[in-house]
Amino acid sequence: MKKTRLKGREIIAIVLLIIGFKLADTTPAQYAQEGKNAFWLMPIVSLLVMLPSFLLLMYLLKKYKDKNLIQLIFSILGKKVGVFMGFIIFLLSYLLLILSARNYTNQITMLYFPESPTTVIMFLFLTVIFFGAKRGLQAIGTATYITLPYLKLSILVLAAAIIPKVVWLRIFPIFGDGLGTILLEGAKRGSIFFDLFILTIAYTAITSNKSFAKGIYFGGAIAFMEIIFFFLLYTTLFDYKSIDKIAFPFHDVTQYVNFGEFFTNVETFFMVFWLGAAFLRFVILIYFGSWLLGETLQLDEFEPLIFPLTLFVFPFSMIVENTITNELIFRNYLLSITTPVLIIFPIILWIVAKSKGALTK
Amino acid sequence: MFPLFKKSENKENKQQTNVDKVSIYKDIKKNEQYTKQLFSSDINKDFTFRTVTAKYCDKQVDMFFYSSIVNNEKIYKGIVRPLLEADGKTITDVITIESLTEIKDFDTVVNQINSGKAVIFIDDEDTAYSVNVADFQARTVQKPENERVVRGPKEAFTEGLGTNVSLIRKRFHNRNLIAETALVGERSQLEVSLMYVNDLVDKDILKNVKDRLENLSVDNISNVELLEQYLEERPYSLFPTILYTERPDYAAQFIEDGYIVLLMDNSSAALILPATFWSFFHSPEDRYSRFLFGNFTRILRMTAFAITILSSATYIAITNFHSEMIPPDLLLAITNSRERIPLPLFIEVIIMEIAFELIREAGIRVPNPLGPTIGIVGALILGQAAVEAGIISPIIVIVAALSGLTSFAISNTSLNTAVRISRFLFIFSASFFGMFSLVGALFLWVIYMASIKSFGVPYFSPLSPSFKSSGDMYFRNIIKHEMWRPGQIKPNNLQKKNIPNKGDSKP
Repeated sequence: MKKTRLKGREIIAIVLLIIGFKLADTTPAQYAQEGKNAFWLMPIVSLLVMLPSFLLLMYLLKKYKDKNLIQLIFSILGKKVGVFMGFIIFLLSYLLLILSARNYTNQITMLYFPESPTTVIMFLFLTVIFFGAKRGLQAIGTATYITLPYLKLSILVLAAAIIPKVVWLRIFPIFGDGLGTILLEGAKRGSIFFDLFILTIAYTAITSNKSFAKGIYFGGAIAFMEIIFFFLLYTTLFDYKSIDKIAFPFHDVTQYVNFGEFFTNVETFFMVFWLGAAFLRFVILIYFGSWLLGETLQLDEFEPLIFPLTLFVFPFSMIVENTITNELIFRNYLLSITTPVLIIFPIILWIVAKSKGALTK
Repeated sequence: MFPLFKKSENKENKQQTNVDKVSIYKDIKKNEQYTKQLFSSDINKDFTFRTVTAKYCDKQVDMFFYSSIVNNEKIYKGIVRPLLEADGKTITDVITIESLTEIKDFDTVVNQINSGKAVIFIDDEDTAYSVNVADFQARTVQKPENERVVRGPKEAFTEGLGTNVSLIRKRFHNRNLIAETALVGERSQLEVSLMYVNDLVDKDILKNVKDRLENLSVDNISNVELLEQYLEERPYSLFPTILYTERPDYAAQFIEDGYIVLLMDNSSAALILPATFWSFFHSPEDRYSRFLFGNFTRILRMTAFAITILSSATYIAITNFHSEMIPPDLLLAITNSRERIPLPLFIEVIIMEIAFELIREAGIRVPNPLGPTIGIVGALILGQAAVEAGIISPIIVIVAALSGLTSFAISNTSLNTAVRISRFLFIFSASFFGMFSLVGALFLWVIYMASIKSFGVPYFSPLSPSFKSSGDMYFRNIIKHEMWRPGQIKPNNLQKKNIPNKGDSKP
């Protein structure tokens, strides 16, 4: 992959988009299933669980200099094990992508186009994503950076509009169903930071390694705080009793909001920005997914993979019968098994690299 | 994108290099005959041939030129009279007009005569001489027609290359301001003048431009409007990648920042490259107005930009698919106005939008005396009558007029057309799945723009990918604080002024 002219600021934008916008998909609903009104504390646990591994990975990337995620795995573990591990990472990310694509299209159909078939919406969605991803990394980075201010502004407006409606005392009982649940379930869902690991495939495509690290840490920190803040708002708005019954907290919140007496139904306004973020998010995920696979198979050009990978999302995401099984069984399960993989693989890399003596140089 | 085209171009290039050059003969009769034959002088009325006997060497001298494109007085005073009267050793002593060029072959002879020079053959010499006596007819310098400003200079380029170069030199006095010439066209070779500041321009971009000019293999490119289409990388693209302006002051501003300006005879405009989205979005007056008002107009233009591409499309999307969003009173007003309308909303909008575009197009083409009529017919018939006949609802007239009028706020003609076409794309996309497909189309539109490059410079730079610059993007800075040249075009000297306590900042 050739170097692009992207800098840390585009990485910040990409991180803010793919991690930060998790507050607007079904991630909060998943957390709330277990954490009840204390679910806003769970991302902290998730972060704490994932942080050491991620820092280790960044340390290894720094040590090995001009290697991206897969090249790093290859040079530490060798070709055979490297292909295996790269493939696992790709498969996990791609499966999650398929499930969340279904999840997003279901949200769109259920909330805004109840009479349209999911397949048609899915087809249109994937068409847009394919043509978007085809434009390449630099265009994706630039488009993210340019549109992010507007997307975030809409989120800010939403926050400002719901703050008067929240009751802050609803955070109590502070640990919801109990501290044990929060710790366990929070740790299980460390995989919400999976995208950060995937992003390291672009480690060498940015103007400098330093700006990549800066971008990913800075973006991650802001996105994390954003998530916590919004989860807190959801908790204090919906309360203990109803928080775990809400499937799409973000869209539910937008229905509560009104701009004065005249504009009372403004959910479509927020939906526009949410959709923009969704398109960008999937473009980034498809692009990085193809990149992971291309590097794993050691192809010179991975961009031809974008088409088949986008195409296969369509049938695979339609296998699942309905959105409930998709969300609560498959995606939930996949997220929980991704977490240990993410925690373990940087440690394996580190141990092997250490035993080879590659880190002391 | 289309390798087939490139291949065929290469073949043609090879063929052309094989043409042999005929050098000038010593015998003046042979020269005379050959030149006459080259220009078909027996049927070519304005091709003129004169022969005199020079006093200084007592030899026969032949002179060829097109009488329609030379200054006759200059020929008489500068060539004929000195030849008949003056003494001297060589011809350079005799003919004292500013430019006297030696010519060795007939290809150059043809070029020189075509570009308005007189070519002189002397008996017993195998060198010819060309004297610049060109006098092409051109307009005088007039006011810009399409890029008007309230504050600021009111001179526009005109159809003479010399005048255009002088208009730029007038605005930027610097010995490093170069006006280099390249020839384009095979059958009719015309001069393209590349103007740039030698110690600022990025040599890679300059080489790129020169290479592209050299590799053009066409019979004739007569003006910059055509040249633009030969030079651009993506001819199918919606978005322009070369800035087209008729204002010399605007061109000079760009030259000063390290850009390259292309000028030609026959065009009352210049091409500026590389261009980014921002250079199309800005207007020269943004800088001439004072800081606050300049930025106020930028805000207006941004609003106009958003309204013109999205208002009709959003109206379709919201009323057709998301009517719950419209406040009840407004919804009732809309339904009320549409009660008697038989057509679907989408058709209604399309009718009005096309009608507006038609009025606009007709307004440009209509002969001057008929101008006012078109306005009356357009406004009356299409507006009021269509509403009264129950074909169009009044709200659509408002929406279409709004989106049409706001498009005029985008002053750059190239971006203006791009925006007008995009508007129709968005109207179509909004009619499929409302906001969902509209946002999808808008998203692709943005990401496509983000992927464009103009001579290697990304379209949205210096915003992203970021470069050091004076930050003239959405808004402009206070002029005194503009310290950097735009970094995306990699000028050799990034710093505009000396800032105390800051080191030299060569990149």
